[in-house]
Amino acid sequence: MSLTLYLGCVIRTVQPEVEKAVKETLSRIGVSFSEQPEASCCAPSWFFSLSREAWLRLNERNMRLLNSTVVTACDDCFASLSDAFRIIAESKGVKPPGLKPFQTLLLERLREVKPRLGFKGLRCAVQHSCRFLRPAGRGLDNPEDPKTVKSVLEALGFLPVSYEGELNCCGGFVSDENVGGEMARLKAGSAEKAGADCIVATCSHCMLRLSPVSRIPVLHLGQLSAFSLGSDPLQIGFPEALLRRVVKR
Amino acid sequence: MIETLRKKGAGNPLKCVQCGSCTSACPVTLIREDFNPRRIVGSIARFNRLPDQDPWLCSTCSLCSERCPQAVNPFSIIMVLRSVLYENGGEAPLSILKMVEQVRETGLAFPLTPESREKRRLLCLPEAGLSEQGLSEVRRILREAGFK
Ligand code: SF4
Ligand code: SF4
Repeated sequence: MSLTLYLGCVIRTVQPEVEKAVKETLSRIGVSFSEQPEASCCAPSWFFSLSREAWLRLNERNMRLLNSTVVTACDDCFASLSDAFRIIAESKGVKPPGLKPFQTLLLERLREVKPRLGFKGLRCAVQHSCRFLRPAGRGLDNPEDPKTVKSVLEALGFLPVSYEGELNCCGGFVSDENVGGEMARLKAGSAEKAGADCIVATCSHCMLRLSPVSRIPVLHLGQLSAFSLGSDPLQIGFPEALLRRVVKR
Repeated sequence: MIETLRKKGAGNPLKCVQCGSCTSACPVTLIREDFNPRRIVGSIARFNRLPDQDPWLCSTCSLCSERCPQAVNPFSIIMVLRSVLYENGGEAPLSILKMVEQVRETGLAFPLTPESREKRRLLCLPEAGLSEQGLSEVRRILREAGFK
């Protein structure tokens, strides 16, 4: 299976350890991938809302560069690319490149590749991103009862925990820091109250919003998958506090 | 305003029946009562004028559009509202303008600091950022789309 990996801006700049973890995961589940370093920012909603033209044209350029099936590591990139590619492809009468979120690919592959479960599970609260859940018409998961990330976590040996307000938005894109921060605090607090050891996200912007207010670590799903598949925890930014818990239980 | 929305392919406020399902679902309204997607759609549909609410408060979660029984798509209406306000000289949040500036600098919306470059090197990751050729393409797109 050969894919093009589109990591997005946050991972490439602020979260290199997530990039490492995602790449380690893909290698360990037998997915060969290439990269397109010339691809730019996917110009998501905040950009689209300033200029639809810039959003479409930047992604027309991205679409030219990304010509095999694309796997995204951030749900915001997935949504922006998928909406833009559809509009551009329709206007040109061509077929848009295939797109797949990291978690969807993982779920498919984990049915075939069995991870090394040499540890007892961590309790994980899933931050279901708005971009992965909606619009429902995209058909990625059931927005009222999403299962993808939880199933991936289970297959990797972790324990997904449910918590109050699990499907709420984390406030990742609210420009007002007070409002966005309050939304994130409510979510992170509720995850902690439910006994989670960590919060697991698949969208870089959810991570950026939740990390500063959460008292439990916020990880990208790729960090958990790489860990479970045998990667060196130091290389993938796996928090020491969690390591100790894994051993203790 | 209604015509602008139609041209930009954003929902149809005239189909709104003011049921309030959007507002009941809105996570921002829970925290800021003065932000109300039903009223935003209402002032456009009834008076064809710009609502006096800050569209930048929207978290872009799109729950309103998912719950709307009339397929009005308040979320996309709010996105277009932002661009209309911006094109007419209105303010956009600094954090967002900074990201646009950053895309012009490196092609990516967040800065490649010396620390992040060093971290990438230590993790044996390739250099990030676009080539000069790629950057000039991105800059041309931004310029032609009206970013100064
Ligand atoms: S849910 Fe739809 S029909 Fe009801 S008030 Fe909101 S926009 Fe109007
Ligand atoms: S998209 Fe914006 S207006 Fe609609 S429910 Fe979400 S925060 Fe509220």
